[in-house]
Amino acid sequence: MKKLIKYNWWKYICVCLLVYVSTWGLLSDVPRLPILNETIRVLHFHVPMWFGMIFLFLGSVIYSIKQLGNPSDRNDLISCELAKIGTIFGILGILTGMFWATFTWGEPWSSDPKQNASAVGLLIYFAYFFLRGSITDEQQKARISAVYNIFAFVALIPLLFILPRMTDSLHPGNGGNPGFNAYDLDSSLRAIFYPAVIGWTLLGYWIATLKIRKGLIEIKIDA
Amino acid sequence: MNNVIHLLKKDFQLDFRLKYPFIGLILYLFSVVFLLYYSFSLGLKTEIWNSLLWITVLFVATNAIAKSFIQETNRNLYYYFISSPLAILTSKLIYSFCFLCTLCVISFGLFSILLGYPGNNQFWFWVNLLLGCLGISSAFTMISALSSKTNSAGVMMVILGFPVILPIIILGSSNSNILLLGGSITDISDNLMTLFSVDLVIIALAYILFPYSWRS
Repeated sequence: MKKLIKYNWWKYICVCLLVYVSTWGLLSDVPRLPILNETIRVLHFHVPMWFGMIFLFLGSVIYSIKQLGNPSDRNDLISCELAKIGTIFGILGILTGMFWATFTWGEPWSSDPKQNASAVGLLIYFAYFFLRGSITDEQQKARISAVYNIFAFVALIPLLFILPRMTDSLHPGNGGNPGFNAYDLDSSLRAIFYPAVIGWTLLGYWIATLKIRKGLIEIKIDA
Repeated sequence: MNNVIHLLKKDFQLDFRLKYPFIGLILYLFSVVFLLYYSFSLGLKTEIWNSLLWITVLFVATNAIAKSFIQETNRNLYYYFISSPLAILTSKLIYSFCFLCTLCVISFGLFSILLGYPGNNQFWFWVNLLLGCLGISSAFTMISALSSKTNSAGVMMVILGFPVILPIIILGSSNSNILLLGGSITDISDNLMTLFSVDLVIIALAYILFPYSWRS
């Protein structure tokens, strides 16, 4: 995080990748698949939101672990801000997913196991913010919320990655559905999808570093 | 180890002396099942019977295990000096597991009397139910330790707890549903193992994280 705050070069990469993704992702040829048709372009905007969310939450959990080992305002601030941006990515992921589902599955919410799991995942982080709000003592707040962050993140793993695979899902890659490969194998899509994942994740970290820098200045002023 | 036994003894003695929390929970359970009995007087499907049982156990668990740390806020400092956090956690985990199992047996009894028992495969049904209880009780014990530090412990308990135990409920209730509908152990052995490993992960996490939440 220190390096991310200090250097700027990765921000240029982020801008280039996102410009590439949002122009070429909308203009390039896509494979013709039944039902999906042109909506397959949402792939570059929906799936990276989840990748971004997981990476941001992972960063948040890492800083929570650091916070438990070495309590400081800085670690607490970083962990909290990363969780906030991660939650925003999660909400965007749900919204883009609902948008996509309306045109392919026929309705925005079809109680697909992955949809439900991601909604619960967001609930965990709303609970995390609620927990932070309800403790007044600053040190106590930092420690208790770090403990809950780790506890909840580990509980989220079976929910997001194991349980949806055991039941039938409308998402590709689980149950009786065609694998993710059905369209991911197409190299032209892949050439945009992977940059999109990196680009959106970097954007998430960029937003987070801005908020963290503001927070660090506020800590300095208060001290 | 000695500490664990003493702390456990204290918890059980407290329950025998102050009978009202336990009796209150049984009354709560009785009112819930009676309410269900009235609302489903026309008879109910096996799937619904199953999910009602799990929901009842879940709600009783939130009330029952909330008290494990929340009732002790004024004694925390004392425990802090006499024993290690791991001993306290161990005693609380064992205590709340026993407590929840008792409540589970009682609620199953009430369900069988008032709403009938639709299945026949007793043994694995109980194994699954007890594994579910183990997960729920240990997750809630940890959550109760966290929420006892906040200003609104009762509400926090529910908000923090539900998302965490959802995987256990999903696995447990789908297993018992398969069993009640006539499935055998081979149909659920994978899910049962997953449930058990989720329980183990939660308990392991509780042991790692509890000392941090305790120190204040």
